Amino acid sequence: MKPVFLLIPILLPILGGGALLLIRRELPRQVRNVYTEIVASLTSLLVAGLLALVSRESVTVYSFIRGFSIAFRADGMAMLFAGMLALMWPFAQLYAYAYMRGTQDEQTFFAFYLMTYGVTLAMAFAANLVTMYVAFEMLTLVTLPLVTHYQNHESLFAGRRYMTYCVAGAALGFVAVVMGTLDGSGAFRWGGNLGNLFPPDLMLLVFLLGFFGFGTKAAVFPLFRWLPMASVAPTPVTALLHAVAVVNSGLFAVARLTFYGFGPDLLLGSWVQILCVLTAAFSLVFAAVMALRQRQFKRRLAYSTMSNLSYMLFGVSLMTPAGFLGALAHMLFHGVIKMSLFLCAGAFMHVTGKEYIFEINGAGRKMPVTFGCYTLGALSLTGIPLFCGFVSKWRLLTAGLDAGTAAGRVGAAALLISAFLCAIYTLTISVRAFFPYDEEGLRQNGVREAEWQMLLPIVLFTVLNLAFGVCSGPVLAFLRQIAEGVI
Amino acid sequence: MGTVIIILLLIFPMAASPVVFALGRKKESWLERAVAVVTGLELLLAVLLWRFPGACSVPEVLSLGLSFQEDGFRRVYSLVTALLWFGTTLFSREYFRHEREHLASYWAFILLTLGAAQGVMLSADLMTTYVFFEILSLSSFPWVLQERTEDAIRAACTYLAVAVFGGLILLMGLLLLSHETGTLAYAQLPGALSSGDSGRLLAAGICILLGFGAKAGMFPLHVWLPKAHPVAPAPASALLSGLLTKVGVFGILMTATSVFPVNEAFGILILILGTVTMVLGAVLAVFSVNLKRTLACSSMSQIGFILVGIAAAVISGSHGSGEGTTLALSGTVLHMVNHSMLKLVLFLTAGAAAMNRHTLLLRELRGWGRNKPLLKIPFGIAALGISGVPLLNGYLSKTLLHEGLLHAMEGPFAGMMRGVEVLFLISGGLTFAYMLRLYLCLFHQKNDDDSLQASYDRKDRYLTGLSAGVIWAGAAVLLVLGFPPAATALAGVMTDLPLRHFEPLAWENLRGALISLSVGGAVYLLPVRILLAPGGRDRDLWPKRLDLEDRVYRPLLLMVLPGMLGRAARLFGENLLLRPVCRGLVFLGSLLGRAMDTSVDGLILLARGTFLREERVRDGSRRRKNPQLQTLRQATEEALGQVVDNFSYAMMMTCAGIVLILVLLVSLLLR
Repeated sequence: MKPVFLLIPILLPILGGGALLLIRRELPRQVRNVYTEIVASLTSLLVAGLLALVSRESVTVYSFIRGFSIAFRADGMAMLFAGMLALMWPFAQLYAYAYMRGTQDEQTFFAFYLMTYGVTLAMAFAANLVTMYVAFEMLTLVTLPLVTHYQNHESLFAGRRYMTYCVAGAALGFVAVVMGTLDGSGAFRWGGNLGNLFPPDLMLLVFLLGFFGFGTKAAVFPLFRWLPMASVAPTPVTALLHAVAVVNSGLFAVARLTFYGFGPDLLLGSWVQILCVLTAAFSLVFAAVMALRQRQFKRRLAYSTMSNLSYMLFGVSLMTPAGFLGALAHMLFHGVIKMSLFLCAGAFMHVTGKEYIFEINGAGRKMPVTFGCYTLGALSLTGIPLFCGFVSKWRLLTAGLDAGTAAGRVGAAALLISAFLCAIYTLTISVRAFFPYDEEGLRQNGVREAEWQMLLPIVLFTVLNLAFGVCSGPVLAFLRQIAEGVI
Repeated sequence: MGTVIIILLLIFPMAASPVVFALGRKKESWLERAVAVVTGLELLLAVLLWRFPGACSVPEVLSLGLSFQEDGFRRVYSLVTALLWFGTTLFSREYFRHEREHLASYWAFILLTLGAAQGVMLSADLMTTYVFFEILSLSSFPWVLQERTEDAIRAACTYLAVAVFGGLILLMGLLLLSHETGTLAYAQLPGALSSGDSGRLLAAGICILLGFGAKAGMFPLHVWLPKAHPVAPAPASALLSGLLTKVGVFGILMTATSVFPVNEAFGILILILGTVTMVLGAVLAVFSVNLKRTLACSSMSQIGFILVGIAAAVISGSHGSGEGTTLALSGTVLHMVNHSMLKLVLFLTAGAAAMNRHTLLLRELRGWGRNKPLLKIPFGIAALGISGVPLLNGYLSKTLLHEGLLHAMEGPFAGMMRGVEVLFLISGGLTFAYMLRLYLCLFHQKNDDDSLQASYDRKDRYLTGLSAGVIWAGAAVLLVLGFPPAATALAGVMTDLPLRHFEPLAWENLRGALISLSVGGAVYLLPVRILLAPGGRDRDLWPKRLDLEDRVYRPLLLMVLPGMLGRAARLFGENLLLRPVCRGLVFLGSLLGRAMDTSVDGLILLARGTFLREERVRDGSRRRKNPQLQTLRQATEEALGQVVDNFSYAMMMTCAGIVLILVLLVSLLLR
């Protein structure tokens, strides 16, 4: 099939969401829900079909000057990211219908939610640095109304912070994009595509800017403050966007820059690589400590996301196929786990209207399915065998040790420390939910399970969590092909 | 056939667990019956495993694959596991008659743990061991929590923390080991060792030792053990002590025999930790005034004996003494089986006291068992057995351990080994002392409260036939294990190493036991009777301050670490460090932006100053210097004031980025 078909799943949600924005009057809820769900599911089906059928050629939509063009292509990494999004989006949207019922401006919310899907797909299918950069900026803009959806002081402030960090990060990334495109052709190729126009030392510096610039969306260490603040957004946004789509876009961009743009040949063993590895190692412990300090449910999970994103950045910055494999596996598995955790948190908040961890006391008795799934997700995130979190952590750890550098070993040690902290900050919530400290917790009047639209995605992602954990063989084989540059 | 049985042994109880849970929710009275059927079938499967040997491996599952095998040791321990579960289940029928809260989930976790324990015992590689070890650690956590009292919650949290910590440090060890050798299968490890660096191998070994040791109750990670046992229900305590600690020992034993069979440094390390555990457990048990706490500390001490045996085997191996290794290993495995069965009988007897009297304090239980022969006789057999009285089961295994220790006395550490031997005999004596104290207190002495004693002496019904049957069956097994040919045959099956020159009742072997017993008798008669229980009133003389958990671990974990990390987090998180850097960046950015901006402004100023110059109003006031620049300065000040967290910040960063590119491009082009 011709690669031009890739444009359909990108444009369909953008246009579909845009149409919803253009309609002035408020549609009836049922109609709107059915319409958006159909668009999202159709897109997912299209993506699934395209991944199986489309050729690996690239399609150029528009070319400015030599090298600077908008082009799309479905290679292995794009397939992974797009497939992951296609799997999650319709279910997250199903959850959102129940969660958002009765809030103001629902229509605008779903319009932007749908548009984000298309933009993220554009990010996934981008075939060169410029396209990726454009999608990256668009993603910031299109998600801003979602963060500020509640329109209160707190969310406006969070939105401003989000905007500031992402635009500033993109500005740093812009340097890397321009220099990379000037030097090579800009098109992604496994192993890098740099020419010899600029001296290597300069390119190392440029890569460093790109790493931190695109890393901003992945909440890399000094530029992470937006992520915990953005947890004031509605849960469907924090779950799907700030645990999967947006943050993984940051990671995706860094990985593209590393393996497909600048190339490990240039970077491996340089001071820049060591700096990146150490930053990620520090970042993952630091975020775990910060998560321990949080008293708000979603903020704790947000810091946990930061910690896990740093796992992936660590894997990428090892710049070996093994590290890349670990990072890709963790990207997929962490997405599944964190979705289920955030959805559980959202279900609790939606039912009770509470948001602090000490208020969870005993809620597990009344919401056994929700908190049971939460506990399984927490165990998986810690890295207990039988669940998928273990699989990817094991890969990352062995990759860190096998890299043979001191920085790699430091990172592996940091990973274990952070796993211990992770057990504490996630499992204390489970213990509190099921074994309340006082009699007060046993009452929890009026608390019951959330409705099926919310439970279905939670259970589904928990099942996926277990399924990936027990039979990870085929998935890992596919990821290994990507990590070794076969597809 | 064997393969099917192995898989069924693991899967069947795990699959039964949710079914039992659902059933318990619907029809609670059937719970124990259903569990008894499941554990009974499991026992049958474990027996069938003797008839149909097999092995199996499941590649690709859990990404690294699982593999199982069976040999003498594994068959025996699989059987012991099933036996303990079956016995405690039967006993639980009476124990939980009145306290029926949270029982469905309790039984579900008991069955889950059974499958996991079988998984550990049948595993053929360290990764499989680890996977099931971790499941077992987590699924046994609700046992400790079952009573839901404040003490239980605290003990359960300690248990969980130690379990998680142990699991992670074990994972680190496995990682290092697989990095060095490239394999984790027990069968392949000995051959793969040559490729590894010995220092790193030892580091891996230490991590693995600590990880498994956390479950075994080895010093310094023993803190959970004396706290968790007294608060757990008695059948669960019997399993915790009889089997879960052995799971940790199993891991240490497997690591020692397949990775470090001849590594003296590793042997000495186990020896030191094992000796400390052995002595500390015995001393704590002597000082304890709580029935189950005494038994728990006793478990710790016996685990110490077992660890000393493993250490003796490794050290003998490093000196090339095959006989010493054989003796020490036989003693180790025999003492493991002995201790499992002993603790079944002892804890169930304690459970009988607890369910009748709802207390575990020796002061209140004194004289309770005076006319209760159904409990008196089995407890007596077990108490004498664990103390190592000749012709009972503990004697044989302890003698073998002692012999193994004597064979290991060579090389540079001989002096230290001699000291360990003395401590070994003293700990054996202390075992006798505290067991004697328990027996006499429960079954012989009279309570100083006469009315209470009278109520104890009434001929009430105190045990159902089923429970008594379980305890007596356990005691019968103990007697069989005390029969020397049976025991040596069992050891031979388990280690695959025949015991040739071993005379169980030779004088030099009896001498060690007699020294121990006389030390124990002296300790009981002098310090215990005079200091700890004068006139039948038990005094808790153990200083509360000497609690490793309260003094070191909890403060470290709850105060020092969060304090330090919190300070670090504040430094970065609250922007004490980042804010100045941000300000600096912003200032630089705005300066650049303004520089571009003012260059245009300068042109305007220049134009205004020259050809656009207006007629100046002469009003006598002092001429202000360059008003445009003045306003510009003001604007900059304002902008800088609110520039952090502002759009302008972002825009300026953009500007800075673009300016940077321009500078770079220009510099390149001019090169």
